[in-house]
Amino acid sequence: MDQPNLSPLHELHLTNSAKFIEFAGWNMPFSYSGTIKEHNYVRNDVGYFDVSHMGRLKIDNDSIDSLSSLICSDIKNLKHGKALYSIFTNENGCALDDVIFWKFPNYILLICNAINTEKIITHLTNTNIKFEDITKQTALVAVQGPNAIEKLGSILSIPESFSCLENDIYTYARTGYTGEDGLEIMVNIKNLENLLNLLSNIQPCGLGSRDTLRLEASLPLYGFELSEDITPVEAGLKWTITNDENYLGSKKITEQLKNSDHKVLKKFIIDSRNIARTGTKVTSKALSGIVTSGNYSPILKKSIGFVLLESMPDTDLLEFEIRGNLVEGKIIKKRFLK
Amino acid sequence: MTEKKYLETHEWYSLSDNEITIGISDYAQGELGDIVFVTLPEVGDEFSKGDSMVEVEATKTVAEAYAPMDCVITEINTMLDSEPEIINNDPCGQGWMVKAEVKNLDDSGMLYQEYESFIT
Repeated sequence: MDQPNLSPLHELHLTNSAKFIEFAGWNMPFSYSGTIKEHNYVRNDVGYFDVSHMGRLKIDNDSIDSLSSLICSDIKNLKHGKALYSIFTNENGCALDDVIFWKFPNYILLICNAINTEKIITHLTNTNIKFEDITKQTALVAVQGPNAIEKLGSILSIPESFSCLENDIYTYARTGYTGEDGLEIMVNIKNLENLLNLLSNIQPCGLGSRDTLRLEASLPLYGFELSEDITPVEAGLKWTITNDENYLGSKKITEQLKNSDHKVLKKFIIDSRNIARTGTKVTSKALSGIVTSGNYSPILKKSIGFVLLESMPDTDLLEFEIRGNLVEGKIIKKRFLK
Repeated sequence: MTEKKYLETHEWYSLSDNEITIGISDYAQGELGDIVFVTLPEVGDEFSKGDSMVEVEATKTVAEAYAPMDCVITEINTMLDSEPEIINNDPCGQGWMVKAEVKNLDDSGMLYQEYESFIT
């Protein structure tokens, strides 16, 4: 088997006694001091995540029309200096990947999920999009938490929310995947020393807490809430559909927007002491469904998750089949956290 | 109280007269990650060796603790209801799970040295 890739920050993780997990061909930190502790650093103060495993592709501005023909959001009218969350769709309108774009005057940075980097590279190549894969020349971290901006403000000019900036050393945006304020920061590995200094007084957090944080923030994860069998409409991401031109799968998506005859992703809470994990069978009256992600919310101190139901339910009550027992839960309409 | 012994399913037990105290090993809590819910049996519940006694939900996964021998529950650690993380912090001390009256002694668990080589 191939050796897993190591982040440019691997030595730092070793120094910080990280517990590692192999993920999408990368050996990345799962936790340091414990998932819940790290979760709380980010909710209450500030923490950083090494997300260098995520794919980073520098797309030539000349390719913007071709790029626009592959995603469900309007990137052509996006201003320079803005970030955009969007979804690459296939001919059936389902998700090939959910990604972030940072639009700069000279190029567009595409950040994709590590498990999909090769797929997206092939997809862009087949569409004759000009790009450079800079994943292994760079490191990417997410600094997140209510005190993140204050912490970074002495080193970096702070952009508005969902905006991006770059200087000689750092390329960064006020984006994240935790529901907290913060920056995602990329550096070329020749400037790694600068990044190490920037992170020196911030708690490291692993992929374990990144997952509990994103779930608690009601954010989807590719491979769970989104896949090549799930459309953005089904995943409750209608707000990302802003591309008025034709794009791959746009016909299917437009059809789905007009009717309610499709799968639906819902958020749920369970009051008993059970976690309904990925793959748990669910029923809502005669409807069946499956849990896409489920875990413990350290802030709500309850079991939460996402369920994909075969169509729109007419009740909020759910029944989960957990190790042979039927456990009750309920759908919630608002976000898990205010 | 006798020296702790360990099972291949990562429980520990210690015996004192006819009473057994049961918990999970430090290795087990480390593998589970942060423990968030513990479902304990009730006093008076009877278990045969190998029966599932306790369910432990953690951020990484769920696990069960099994009865090391035939026994009847005499006491449960009610602190685990509100502070399940005690198991992470002190699995072999304050993080004990249940005490039980032994019905059929089976002291075949491994001493720590043997368990240590089992898990490595």
